[in-house]
Amino acid sequence: MRQFFALLKKDLLLEARSKSMVASMTIYAVLVLVVYGATISQTSDSFNIQQVAPGLLWALIVFTSLIGLNKTFEHEHEEGAMVALLLSPMQKSLIFLSKFTANLLFLLLVELIAVPEFFFFFLQTAQVSGQSFLLVLPLLLGSIGISGVGTLLATITQGAKSSNILLTILLVPLIFPLLLLCVSTTSMALLGSNLLDAGFYRLLGMAATYDLIMLAAAYGLYEFVVSP
Amino acid sequence: MIKSKHRLITLLVLAAILIIADVVLTFFFAPLVKGAGLSEPVVIAGQLVENRLLFSQKIFYLHVPVAIVSFAALGVAAMFSLRYLLDRDHAWDMKAATAAEVSLVFVLATMASGIFWTRFEWGVWWVWEPRLTTYFILTLLVLAYFVLRTNIDDETKKARYAAVFSILAFIDVPISFFITRLVPSSIHPVIFTSNSGLSTSMLIPFLLGLIGMMLLGIVIYQVRFALHSSKLRLESIKLRYEALSKKEKLARIKELD
Repeated sequence: MRQFFALLKKDLLLEARSKSMVASMTIYAVLVLVVYGATISQTSDSFNIQQVAPGLLWALIVFTSLIGLNKTFEHEHEEGAMVALLLSPMQKSLIFLSKFTANLLFLLLVELIAVPEFFFFFLQTAQVSGQSFLLVLPLLLGSIGISGVGTLLATITQGAKSSNILLTILLVPLIFPLLLLCVSTTSMALLGSNLLDAGFYRLLGMAATYDLIMLAAAYGLYEFVVSP
Repeated sequence: MIKSKHRLITLLVLAAILIIADVVLTFFFAPLVKGAGLSEPVVIAGQLVENRLLFSQKIFYLHVPVAIVSFAALGVAAMFSLRYLLDRDHAWDMKAATAAEVSLVFVLATMASGIFWTRFEWGVWWVWEPRLTTYFILTLLVLAYFVLRTNIDDETKKARYAAVFSILAFIDVPISFFITRLVPSSIHPVIFTSNSGLSTSMLIPFLLGLIGMMLLGIVIYQVRFALHSSKLRLESIKLRYEALSKKEKLARIKELD
């Protein structure tokens, strides 16, 4: 446990000093919002943005998360610290847990900025339901899954040729089921349908199950990924 | 070597016979499946027909066996990958990659045949319907497996990472299968005929096709595996040859003469 916190503290400290990951993710998110702005400015008055808003929001999150995930092992790779990490006498899966936690925290932090911005730019005039705050549940479950699978895949792709695009190619199909659940539950929260009848919590339960299965698989397989 | 070649050809011929038998039976033996009722009965070829006869359903006897083999090959690849991770024997990695290649061939064949059926029956080339969505994701995962392999140079790392990804993908496919069906969507569910029990005249061509396609998959697997092994042997012969001194090379050539 102490080792885990030491590793996590190292990542958080590095980020707190350089702010490179969160800054680039936030700027990227804003750029995606600008592209959305260009798209939505071309729609007619009868266009109901609420129907596509959940999907747009999740496209934003997936792509923004990729920016951060790609940087997961940037420092380790550039300065050869990965070898030192692997040589240190501790369970290799602790590296996974700490990196996953760090990635999750960064992603949540960026969402904390990007999601209100999304509402500010696109949903001000829309009739958003009173239970919209419940979208934090899919956001949380989605971020956990994306960070978990993403951290494992980022370990695989670091040092590979064209690692950035490789991570995208591997991650998106793997998280597709989770993405579908998240978009569906987010739209239920935004549109204000009767949550219990629509199966909101049942779908969230499935998202949590996906997270559990994938995190367990990633945790179990991590030893194989990093062991020399 | 010669013996295995004979065995392969026998298998291939057997597969061809089974698949041809499947096609012949499909068109001349299996009954047409009845679809939606017609507005009024018509007489076709001397028979009173009250329902639309789904000729396009014939694709079932080829398309479904191919799809089943693609799943099976993916499972075999995941199993070999697991064996590789446990044993660290490169032969398992080569087997896993070869099984994934077989899966790719059958996945593409399933996609191609499926898309024509979709166009014919539903009038569009593509719908985001659960079955199609799941299969599309599966296709992307198989493709991603090969993209991963080509992008890593280090042989050991390539094998290890590919094995891990193949296992993850194998876990992901059934999840994706169930979730795409459980998430409500705006598209109306496609209603298939509820009575899906197969009569003997339908089961026989289907099974022939299934066994034939399985055999074809095994043949493709063995041909590709032989190719990969030869490549590896050639590589090692090359290396050993380069390590020889000029004198030894000359002596070797003389020996061969």
